[in-house]
Amino acid sequence: MNIELKKPSIPEGLWIKCISCNDTIYRDDYDEKFNICPNCNKHHRLDVTRRLEITVDKGSFKEYDADLKTVNKLNFPKYIDKIELLEEKTGLKEAVVTGECKINKNKAVIAIMDSRFLMGSMGSVVGEKITRAIEKATAKKLPIIIFTASGGARMQEGIFSLMQMAKTSAALKRHSNAGQLYISVLTDPTTGGVTASFAMLGDIILAETGALIGFAGRRVIEQTINQQLPEGFQTAEFLLEHGFIDKVVNRRELKDILSKTIEIHKGGKR
Amino acid sequence: MFKKILIANRGEIAVRIIRACKEMGIQTVAVYSEIDKESLHVQLADQSVCIGQASPQKSYLNIENIISATVLTGAEAIHPGFGFLSENSKFASICNECGIEFIGPTAEMIDKMGNKSEARKTMIEAGIPVVPGSKGKVEGIEDGLKIAEEIGYPVMIKASAGGGGRGMRIAYDKEKFISAFNTAKSESKKAFGDDTMYVEKYVENPKHIEFQILADKHGNVIHLGERDCSIQRRHQKVLEEAPSKVISGELRDAMGKAAVKAAKSIKYQNAGTIEFLLDKHGDFYFIEMNTRIQVEHPITELITGIDLIKEQIKIAFGEKLLIKQKDVKITGHAIECRINAENPELNFMPSPGTITDLRLPGGYGVRIDSQVYSGYTIPPNYDSMIAKLIVHDKTREEAINKMKRALDEFKIKGLCTNIEFQKVILNKEAFIEGKYDTAFIANHIG
Repeated sequence: MNIELKKPSIPEGLWIKCISCNDTIYRDDYDEKFNICPNCNKHHRLDVTRRLEITVDKGSFKEYDADLKTVNKLNFPKYIDKIELLEEKTGLKEAVVTGECKINKNKAVIAIMDSRFLMGSMGSVVGEKITRAIEKATAKKLPIIIFTASGGARMQEGIFSLMQMAKTSAALKRHSNAGQLYISVLTDPTTGGVTASFAMLGDIILAETGALIGFAGRRVIEQTINQQLPEGFQTAEFLLEHGFIDKVVNRRELKDILSKTIEIHKGGKR
Repeated sequence: MFKKILIANRGEIAVRIIRACKEMGIQTVAVYSEIDKESLHVQLADQSVCIGQASPQKSYLNIENIISATVLTGAEAIHPGFGFLSENSKFASICNECGIEFIGPTAEMIDKMGNKSEARKTMIEAGIPVVPGSKGKVEGIEDGLKIAEEIGYPVMIKASAGGGGRGMRIAYDKEKFISAFNTAKSESKKAFGDDTMYVEKYVENPKHIEFQILADKHGNVIHLGERDCSIQRRHQKVLEEAPSKVISGELRDAMGKAAVKAAKSIKYQNAGTIEFLLDKHGDFYFIEMNTRIQVEHPITELITGIDLIKEQIKIAFGEKLLIKQKDVKITGHAIECRINAENPELNFMPSPGTITDLRLPGGYGVRIDSQVYSGYTIPPNYDSMIAKLIVHDKTREEAINKMKRALDEFKIKGLCTNIEFQKVILNKEAFIEGKYDTAFIANHIG
């Protein structure tokens, strides 16, 4: 008849700690769908699956080049071991997923980088998948949207990585010449060779609230120029203030902003 | 029975709960904010844990720290008292997830009654009389106006999430309705983060009568009679008495039955209070349910001889109610005066400070529930209530005389209190004759 007395304990995952504000948040209060801290509004990183969930219309995504696999051309020690381990851990084959989708019923080609996979670094496969996605968008007369999240070029692939910068940029130029739209969405973190190539080439460049965006790291710059950098340097907001990007976007509004932008630019170059 | 209970509250109610636990042989854990280190509840409990800074948000409303303190001390249950987290469904559900018994209703029941327009809808469905008005929330100003025309002016515009008079406006005509609706809506948005509104007929000068109910986990529900809480200042209760002078045995039965039916309709558990408005024609209407122990619970205890806190603990543990409705006998008359650290001369401005000298009243039939002692400093961070003076006697007249005598004995030096103000109420003819309603203070004292 009476209740069973239990030893009180806190179940795993009841509280989520925000690494930005250090606050502890009750699981149900945490905006898991968008991965945004309700306390400090930090937009925590999203993996590909969740990014697709909040961006594309349900059931509309058709993936391109899912089987494209990395090879170790330079025989870089333990490179393939690392790749295999990450494949197992993340369920991804590489740091970018590309495909065709609908966003609020508007067709688009989309490429989403995932920082869990070698910090979203750009090797041959990442570069190739993005290039092919752009080319498909051009051929099909569709806009291309790229969500960037990357530490830069992949050091394990040396010069092959750096070549991807030129390759992707060239594809975007052809897309542009064909009068087609490219929206770049910079998410945390967007740095190095990715910033120096396709990330900054968008006709419209959006960035998520608080995202880190830069080329070299803050410390490297400070040590090189021997000067202290201003507060907020390399954040989305700082870049907006200095004219590098077009808009800082709250992730909750991103889907609607993307679909509106696509609608406005329908028909391509006039 | 529980071996250890954590009291997630402060002040006199924490002391009250610790006392009940001690009498039941249950160990107690007090939680306190940094500023409450010297508090009486901390001194009386077997264990105490500091849960944060003085601001309520950082301590008594800090769910994470309270749960951690419970796990740390191995308490099996939490008594939330009133205010703070007592009607927070999230807290109740977190307790449940952590294997801690929340001494009160379940999260679902709190949610059902916490949203006032939702509660109103539930009661209409259960056949409990409610003040004529919208069935649930009002969709917009047009919808509201339509309802107002139907039920006739004056009408009361209320916020679903409201309380303490905020988000509440009276409208006497169509023109007033529009402006009142908009101000109430924006006030509610600001105060509660929710601007769902509903509209009711404004019952002019009603009595505020509430019924205490007890419900166990086995479907047994009883009521313990009413409390007359019509003496209010700006919607805050000042003095309460039980039983009410204007309620006949017959009306008590009818209202009590409605209260029990209301509780049963949501399968309510633990102690709760069903609030009614009683108009001059003897018609009563459900207004809301408080899903927790009330400040004024001692007057019910004194006239029924039932310790409500102990019953709450037993119910939470799963015991069946041993008292049947027919066993509930109302004996004598009880009055409670809320003693606040405030200055009636300065529009009742809170008056925190250090008590330099204290003389408490006593004698037969006098009870004091308080956290104060000589030398205690009342912090400015919390509610200004510092004591509840409760008396019990055979008749209402004797109880009034006893209360006057007890108030005369009550001396607190070092800060201002409303003791003299309470005496003014007790000496007013309208009060003595029992002819008072919620407008009493505004009309008779100002």
